[in-house]
Order: sequence, then C-alpha cells, then structure tokens
Amino acid sequence: MKTPKPPEAGASKESTRRRFLLTTGTTTVVAGVVGFLGATARFLFPNVLYEPPSRFPVGGPDDFPTGSPTFLPNQRLFVFNSDAGFYSISSICTHLGCNVNHVASGGFACPCHGSQFDANGQVIHGPAPRPLAWFGLSLSSRGELVVDQRRIVEPDYRFKV
Amino acid sequence: MTARAYVRQTLETGWRTVFRVGWPRTDKDRSAAMISSFFLHVHSAKVKPNSLRAAYTFGLGLISFYMLLVLTVTGVALMLYYTPSPDAAYRSMKDLQFVVTFGPVLRNMHRWAAHAMVVAVFLHMCRVFFTGGYKLPRQFNWVVGVGLLIMTLGLSFTGYLLPWDQLAFWAITVGSNIAGYAPGVGESAKYLLLGGTVIGSGALLRFYVLHCVILPVAVVTLVAVHFFRVRKDGLSAPPGRAPATTAEAAKGGFPPSARSYGLMALADRPAQPVVESDPDEEVMAWPHLLYRELLLLLAVVVALHVVALLFNAPLEELANPTRTPNPAKAPWYFLGLQELVHYSAFIGGVLVPGLIVLALVLVPYLDPSPRGVGVWFSPERRRANWIFGVFAVVTIVLTLIGTLFRGPNWAWVWPWTG
Repeated sequence: MKTPKPPEAGASKESTRRRFLLTTGTTTVVAGVVGFLGATARFLFPNVLYEPPSRFPVGGPDDFPTGSPTFLPNQRLFVFNSDAGFYSISSICTHLGCNVNHVASGGFACPCHGSQFDANGQVIHGPAPRPLAWFGLSLSSRGELVVDQRRIVEPDYRFKV
Repeated sequence: MTARAYVRQTLETGWRTVFRVGWPRTDKDRSAAMISSFFLHVHSAKVKPNSLRAAYTFGLGLISFYMLLVLTVTGVALMLYYTPSPDAAYRSMKDLQFVVTFGPVLRNMHRWAAHAMVVAVFLHMCRVFFTGGYKLPRQFNWVVGVGLLIMTLGLSFTGYLLPWDQLAFWAITVGSNIAGYAPGVGESAKYLLLGGTVIGSGALLRFYVLHCVILPVAVVTLVAVHFFRVRKDGLSAPPGRAPATTAEAAKGGFPPSARSYGLMALADRPAQPVVESDPDEEVMAWPHLLYRELLLLLAVVVALHVVALLFNAPLEELANPTRTPNPAKAPWYFLGLQELVHYSAFIGGVLVPGLIVLALVLVPYLDPSPRGVGVWFSPERRRANWIFGVFAVVTIVLTLIGTLFRGPNWAWVWPWTG
C-alpha cells in the first residue's frame, strides 16, 4: 500500500510552488504595466518636429542700417549693426515668452508682465529670470547673414563681415 | 379582436417593455419607477428634505453637471465644423460665426457655459466646505471633487487654444511657459504638452485631443464616481438628521446608509443601529426631487440661451506669433495666478498652485473632527471656515485684479478709465 506523504511536506512544496508562481506572475504583470507606461510616455515625445529651422539666413549685411536695430518678427529676434560688428538678440522674453519691444532708451521692455532689459538684454527689472538670448552669426556662401539660434553667445559677441 | 384593439394592445405592451412601471400614481409605483430606470436610479427613491432645500445647496453641483451636459452637446455640434490645424482652425471659427446656421448661438453657448462651469464648480466647492460636507464619510468624494475642479480648468484651458486667434495663441503661450517653470520636469512637461518647442500644429492637435477626448472621458468617469458616492452617502445633513458616525465607518467599514437595501446589507449586524432617521421624514424623490431638477435644468438652459443670444463669444484676429498683444492675458480663471506670476513665475506658476491643490486634497484629513456638519458656517468650525474664507476671498480678489485692474505692460489701471 502506498504511504501518503506527510501533509506538512506536501503543503510546503505546494506553498513554495504557489509562491513561486505568484511572485513570477506578479513580477511579470508589474513589469508589463511599467513597460507599457514607459512606452506610452516615450510615444508622447515626438521624434521629428515640423517646426521652423533654428538656423536661417536673414538677409545681406547691407540690409541692416548701422546704429539702429532691425526687428525680424517672423524669426522673433533683433539684428543690430554696430561699428564693432553685427549681433543678434532674441525678442522672446525669458519670463513667459512674449515678444519684447525695443525702447527709445536702447533697452527692451516686455508688454506682458513689465520685465525690462538693458541694451545688452540683461535684466534690469523683473520678473524675467534670465537675460535675453544672444545668437551666433555667420555668413552664408551667398553672402547673407545667418542666425543660429542653437548657438548662444556672450553679450560681447560681435560678428565682422 | 379588431385591428384597432390589436394595435392599441401591441403599443401598450411595447411601451411597457421600455417603461415597466408606466406613469406612477402611487408611492409604491414611484419607488418602483425610480429603481427600475437606469437613468433615474442615480437617485434614491426617497430623499431627505434637507437635500431639497434650495438655500442649503443652491443646486450648485447640479448646475455644474448641467453645464457639462450643455458643453457636451454644443461641443459635439461644434466638432462637425471645426478642423484642428493652424491653417483651417481660424477659418472654421469664422464659418461658425457667419456661415453655419445657428453656429454663433452654439459657439456662444459653449463659451459661456465653459466660463459658468468654472464658476459653478468653484462655488460648489465653497458650499461643500462651508457646510462641512467633506467630513466623514465623504472625505474621498471631496478629493474626487478637487480632481473635477482641476479637470474643469484643464478642459477650459485646452479649449482656449482651439479658435487660433490672438487671444488663444498668447494666453496659451503664457500658460504653457508657466508649466516650464516646474522644477526638473518643467521643460519636459512643456515639450509634452505642446508636442514640440513652439505653439504650432502639433500643439493645436494635442490640445484638441485633450479637449475633445482625453479630458471629457476622465471627467465623465470622475463624475460617475462622484455621483455614486453621493448616492451611497446621501447629502450632508445637520446632526440628529444624519447617521451616527460609527467607529466602524471611521475605519473604512460599510458606512451607515439611509437606503433600504443598505439596511438589508447591514441586517446581519444587529449590534449596529442602522436606521438613521424615521423614514417618514423623508419625501419621495418622484416628484419632489425630480421636478426640482427638471426646473433647474430648464432655468440653466434658458439662462444660457439668453446670454448666448445677447453676448457674442470673443474672437480676435488670426493668431500672429510675431505680435504680442499688450497686455497678453491668460484665461480669466488663471489671472489670479498670472498676477502672482508677475512677481515671480516660479512662485505664482508652480509653488502656489501646487500648494493650493495639495492643501485642498488634504482638507478632509487635516480637519477630521466630525462636528459642524450640515449647516452653513457652523460656529463649531469657525477656524476652518475662516481659513477657507480667506483663501476664497484672496483667490477672487487676485482674479479681479488680474482681469480688471491690469493694463498694458501689466501696469495698474482703473477699469473705469477705459
């Protein structure tokens, strides 16, 4: 006659197997859910942006009169032609993204929340947290000034043609 | 049987397959009508007189829900003529305004109902607070309500961009840049919201999907949970007319319920008194509650029609990313925050709203005392009422300042000086 196994041993074995299956199953489900959430989050970040280029020609050097700023509304920046050379300052307020206006005293003022900047785009009155961005310039093969919005430069930057 | 009698009998039988009780003429039938209808069963068969008093609730929760209904109906209608792309969106708005039959009325109703819903939800929250309605066992439903408030604002905000006019473009420019100030995740959050780095076709499509699909589904789900809990817990009532708060309920057990099948569910617990009040004090939901609800729906719909016929929803010129209007204002319900943003973008845009939401969610858990429920401005809750009252007044004052008293360059102006 076959002797039945002691109940403790069977229960323990079954409990181990059950625990193993439960752990494996739970881990798999959790990993699946986490993976799914991660994939969803990644999916929401577009890989290709159909946005205006960040590097673009703005015209020949002669198009910019010496001494006065030229506002390019479509590119949202100013181009200055000084004796020392050309430079370009962003018109996007660093506070909340409105277009700043060039004021007669030589600085900039934001119409949205009253931020004020000096002639170099440095903040002289809040709430803007950072100075206006300066963009690097270059000359294209066709002799046009090219603004590179990805190349941020210091306020002493001047581009000589 | 004559043909006429046959048709009559078939119609009657067919009618009964839809409305099983028919038009109820006795209280028993009225109860049966409420319980056997999918739509009416959101009500209990009998309700406490307290929840019918207009001066207790002012019907604010119901008004919020009616606004949601109107917004759904008018919103779906508007979708038939709207194209979510920067080239076509503004043209759609002009079509709605000048070409589509009843287009202006639908658009006006949608816009004004959206504003009214923000107001109604805010006032509803104030009502629930000042009557202590967030206390045991309704704590979680208050949290669901806070979620609904946030989603109402989210729906309104995402809808703001869709006309693609100057008002829309610059309000969303300001609003999405505020999101960029969140520490650590700000830039990613903004990139995610806009689907890129600028407000263009990607952003418009995302706002459209959020506005028409994701947020409405979320709101309807939360509203269902909100109503279900109200249905289970009943409306808050003054002491003596409310169920005694048991230790078991406080631990998260089955809460005492006024509903008859609630009694059955609890019948195996003889130690626990479950009868909250003499059922005779309650009144039949049909007709007392139903007629009031229908009357309020009628009033809301008529009022919205009148407003929509008298006042046109604003539509400025086509969105122009090169020209910032002066001043550029966020939607009015965010102008309190914009007023703070004027001082510091981080404090006004991230810190204060974050703390407000956190504080609102924690309200029922920070104030666990079960006293002072069911009456307006109970003296037993003087301190809580004062704190919330100051919060509400500050919110309103800051919103008024941002809306009426701020002009070009965000400088102070008096509204009457034009």
